[in-house]
Amino acid sequence: MIKINYFKRDTEKPADLQAGGNSPRPMSIKQSVSIPIWVKVLISLAPAMVFLIFFTFYPIINTSIIAFIENFGWQKNAGSFAISNFFQQIANANDPLLLEPPAMPYFSLDNFGLVLTDPIFLDSLFNTAILTVISVPLTIIVSLMLSVALNSIKAFRGFFQTIFFLPYVTNAIALGMVFNVLFSPEPGGIMNQIIQLFGGSPVSWVDPAAHELYDVIKLSKFSMGVVLIAQSVWAGLAFKILVFMSGLATIDKQYYDAAKIDGTGRARIFSKITVPLLSPQIFYITITSFIGAFKMYSSIISIVGQGPLNFGGTSGTLWITVVGYIYKNRQTDLPKAAAGAVILLIIVLLITLVQMQVSKKRVHY
Amino acid sequence: MEVRLDNLSKHFTSGNRPVVKAVDEMNFTIPDGKLVGLLGPSGCGKSTTLYMIAGLHKPTGGKIWFGDTDVTEVPPENRGIGLVFQNYALYPHFTVRENIRFPLENVRPKLTKPQMEEIVQEMANIVGIGELLDRKPKELSGGQQQRVAIARALSKRPQVLLLDEPLSNLDARLRLQTREEIKRIQRNTGVTTIFVTHDQEEAMSISDFIVVMRKGVVNQIDEPQTVYEEPANLFVAKFLGSPAINIFEAELNGDMISLHGEAFEKGLLQGKGEFSLLDSRIYDIAVAGGYKESKKVFFADLGVDYVAPVEEVKTETEAVEKPKFSFNKIVANVKGKFAKKEKRIPDAEVVIAEAPAKLTVRHIYKQIVYRGYRPELGEFEEQVGKLYVESGANRPVKIGVRPESFTLEPNNNPPIQVEVKFIEHIGRDISIVGNVLGQPTSIRIIIPAEQRHNIKEQVVKVYPKRYYVFELSGERVK
Repeated sequence: MIKINYFKRDTEKPADLQAGGNSPRPMSIKQSVSIPIWVKVLISLAPAMVFLIFFTFYPIINTSIIAFIENFGWQKNAGSFAISNFFQQIANANDPLLLEPPAMPYFSLDNFGLVLTDPIFLDSLFNTAILTVISVPLTIIVSLMLSVALNSIKAFRGFFQTIFFLPYVTNAIALGMVFNVLFSPEPGGIMNQIIQLFGGSPVSWVDPAAHELYDVIKLSKFSMGVVLIAQSVWAGLAFKILVFMSGLATIDKQYYDAAKIDGTGRARIFSKITVPLLSPQIFYITITSFIGAFKMYSSIISIVGQGPLNFGGTSGTLWITVVGYIYKNRQTDLPKAAAGAVILLIIVLLITLVQMQVSKKRVHY
Repeated sequence: MEVRLDNLSKHFTSGNRPVVKAVDEMNFTIPDGKLVGLLGPSGCGKSTTLYMIAGLHKPTGGKIWFGDTDVTEVPPENRGIGLVFQNYALYPHFTVRENIRFPLENVRPKLTKPQMEEIVQEMANIVGIGELLDRKPKELSGGQQQRVAIARALSKRPQVLLLDEPLSNLDARLRLQTREEIKRIQRNTGVTTIFVTHDQEEAMSISDFIVVMRKGVVNQIDEPQTVYEEPANLFVAKFLGSPAINIFEAELNGDMISLHGEAFEKGLLQGKGEFSLLDSRIYDIAVAGGYKESKKVFFADLGVDYVAPVEEVKTETEAVEKPKFSFNKIVANVKGKFAKKEKRIPDAEVVIAEAPAKLTVRHIYKQIVYRGYRPELGEFEEQVGKLYVESGANRPVKIGVRPESFTLEPNNNPPIQVEVKFIEHIGRDISIVGNVLGQPTSIRIIIPAEQRHNIKEQVVKVYPKRYYVFELSGERVK
């Protein structure tokens, strides 16, 4: 029997390998410096942490402390920490040498009682709730419809996308000014002309004094509310369309092909396929819109256009919102403003928690 | 339901780029109740064909017939088809039950809830997922998802069931199991079924008929065994069979086909004279495939100087038919046409600076592929092969032998000496991998394991039991 050397060829090594007689060393790559994992974590988290600490945690903690202190007032040389201020204020209040000693601060829930019984705060809470409850679902439905429509067209898609995205890159104050012009109180204003075209009478939308000058219906809470909701729906479209469009892009086209073969109608495709498959995006948008709507402030003052603390009407508080209430009291009664802020935080937190519970049942994947 | 494709075409045009013929003038008939596999490499237009039958893609030409009805313009929902997508496209937010029921909810006249429920249960039982009805798709394995997709496609009792790459998302074990399952479901329901695959084994194992496609053109339609044993051309021979067929490069000289200098076959083909590879039509082939350089560079790469033909070369007929508008391009075109008609030997255009050592098709391919030519060697060979065949000259031919067609026992066919590199054991067969002695050609031979003891030397002689002869153009001659 002849033994066959199946590996004969392998013995004929290329010249460069034969020269040294050794097998070639594996190629090495640059050695990485070994750093403990916690150091790496710290380094990568540091930038975000710095911002969070200074602009989120510090203000929240400070505000919460102030909200629980009766008679709080900023003291000289006490720094910007509420708690150190508190002790400085106690020291100052007990200082017999001071001509005008500050009032004695103490922990209590009185600020919350004061805020919750303040008719303006209750009014602001009601206003905010109305604006939120109407504008959020409205803007989500409109933007969802527009996204699906935009997604189904090919021609001019980019053009329409640009148009709908413009409000996103435009300043909120500028948008308010545009709406101010659109809903001008004069009978010749754009919206008033449209109303007259359909046989209605002109309205003095947001101007509390216009009915004295022109022949227009006097401003009412309703007329101004229409302007506010129109503005917030329109301004909110851009971002929502963006999110929905990107969500739609991730839906496999084959679902629609499958539905088409089954002869499913457009309305059924929308309600049974598109909406459920878009539910993660809808959920995200709902939460962020609710929070955003609860913080509504700049759009209102920009539409009224009478300065940062005027919320319409003759009183200047017709459509005051919770954030507006906080700003209004910030200069005059800081603890009250702080208590308002804490209440807002709790409301937003509760809404988010409720929505997250709901989403567990409704959002797929 | 019989499915008939009549000159079906799908051409894509975009801007001024050349037309892409995804499917080109396809004709075939699928008998009622048969399982047919559309087989081809990726990009050959098989999925496009399937989607055209489904109605999701519009053909640019031709007709589709379901029985005696022309369904070319019928929307997909009215064609009575069921389609199973490659990734199943099961609605993730529906349970299996809802997924199967979904198509039924659009049926008019409306079905009652119990009726739907009955059908859902029936379909689930057919595909064997009766106990999984209340799960969501993501809780199922790939094979189970596949079956749900089939159940959904079958729920409306389609006349034609279409499956797009039904097995490609499954692992090897499931694939084997599922393909038997598909066969069984198709037998039980008797629905005409068309499926698309790039896996020849898959197509061979379950189809009643195979349609082998390549670049939008049908190359062969037949029963699996016939396609395997009698391939219509080199492409089909290479595409079917695993391990792939061994291809040897032989020479035709006169009426003799010789392989590695040994006479192999006599009297099959006739070759006369020589074909010069310095034909300028080869340059045209290169340009059509994306070659970017000038003719001068092309010939320079081949080691010859190219001199543009001078005006005087023109014959009288050319002068007469010369168009009045002498745009350069038109003139060039006309010239090209005449060159072909007159079989003008292109040597007139080419001055050989130094005789190229040994000009082969492979050598030319190497030169052009670095300068923008995109297609593979096989395709280039095929196109040049057409010129060879047309010229009737002595030419290279290809001999194909399936790995299992070799035997160690001498027979009438000339032997091939193989230098064994290594031996693989595959169950009861062994697979010998080696080189043809003195040649770079790699070869694979499958013989029964009990013959292992016959391989005593490094070099063994093997005899083909059955072989095919192909022209360089891919055409099968024997």
